[in-house]
Amino acid sequence: GAMSNGVYMPPSAANGDVKPVLSSTPLVDFLLQLEDYTPTIPDAVTGYYLNRAGFEASDPRIIRLISLAAQKFISDIANDALQHCKMKGTASGSSRNKSKDKKYTLTMEDLTPALAEYGINVKKPHYFS
Amino acid sequence: RSGSKHATTPADNYYLARRRTLQVVVSSLLTEAGFESAEKAAVETLTEMLQSYISEIGRSAKSYCEHTARTQPTLSDIVVTLVEMGFNVELLPAYAKRSQRMVITAPPVTNQPVTPKALTAGQNKPHPSHIPGHFPEFPDPHTYIKTPTYREPVSDYQVLREKAASQRRDVERALTRFMAKTGETQSLFKDDVSTFPLIAARPFTVPYLTALLPSELEMQQMEETDSSEQDEQTDTENLPLHMGTDDSGAEKENASVLQQNSSLSGSRNGEENVIDNPYLRPVKKPKIRRKK
Repeated sequence: GAMSNGVYMPPSAANGDVKPVLSSTPLVDFLLQLEDYTPTIPDAVTGYYLNRAGFEASDPRIIRLISLAAQKFISDIANDALQHCKMKGTASGSSRNKSKDKKYTLTMEDLTPALAEYGINVKKPHYFS
Repeated sequence: RSGSKHATTPADNYYLARRRTLQVVVSSLLTEAGFESAEKAAVETLTEMLQSYISEIGRSAKSYCEHTARTQPTLSDIVVTLVEMGFNVELLPAYAKRSQRMVITAPPVTNQPVTPKALTAGQNKPHPSHIPGHFPEFPDPHTYIKTPTYREPVSDYQVLREKAASQRRDVERALTRFMAKTGETQSLFKDDVSTFPLIAARPFTVPYLTALLPSELEMQQMEETDSSEQDEQTDTENLPLHMGTDDSGAEKENASVLQQNSSLSGSRNGEENVIDNPYLRPVKKPKIRRKK
């Protein structure tokens, strides 16, 4: 099976569906690397929302870890939506030699099925014309 | 909330600035994923999700931490939280190494009201040790100025009468002492002259003359009241009209009695004094009948 960071990961682990078995605290080394890495979300913003939830971080690296996790969460959804967008584009029978134009627009029609895979159901109301 | 014209409080500004930052973050993540543009609704959805994701991590991590009787969340709490939320923790380092591109500056909203230098007056009190530093400062020292108000003066009748009586006694004493010091004095004691000085009496050559003749004032009063009938003929006050006594207060009493006569003459006819004190009633003179 795949071994990374000394933790056994079963080969059937899909993207976020199966919780891996943890034998040691992961990310300890990663936390040390976080000192010089600045995630996209500023520390102040993440810290603000954490404080509102009652979470007072003692270590600023913890905040960066959480903001990275949140970023990854959104990135994964965005990538899934992109896949949907690309599938719709190429499935409609456009010419093969010309690749799908690079301008992808994220629409609710792409986002909804991507979120549905995560178990999040969004229903936007139809606006009256 | 988004672009409305309502007045925003500093707390709202604080909140909105961070919300906008999250939107920018979401937009940058979408750009990273390969999107050129996005629907506003989609961006809003993702922003909302991002905010609630962060909040949920915070709440859940705190709960796990408190579940083990601690107050400071640690890395393990967060890992457990992420695992519980269905997040694959293993993939995180890979993700971090992959996307090292976009960094957004923190929102610079500072809405703390700062009193300008011209308005501050004096040094504020520093915080005592038990107050954390991030609390607001104490106000200016003129906040603590107190003006004490005095109690209402006592208007009790008895107290007032006592006060009036003691004041009157003090005044009489002072006056007689003054007269003794400035005028001639007699003494009761043979050797000691200065301890109890008495105002010297001035004897008249014909002592009984003043007793027989009415004074000027009395002449006036007699003419005024000659026509009215007098019912009571009580002579309540002993009128020492001559000065031949040792009483140190006699002179003053005489003057005060004469004043009383002149002031109360008009009120004698039919009017009653409010205070029915025999010593304060007006003097009743014996009626003098003139033979016409």
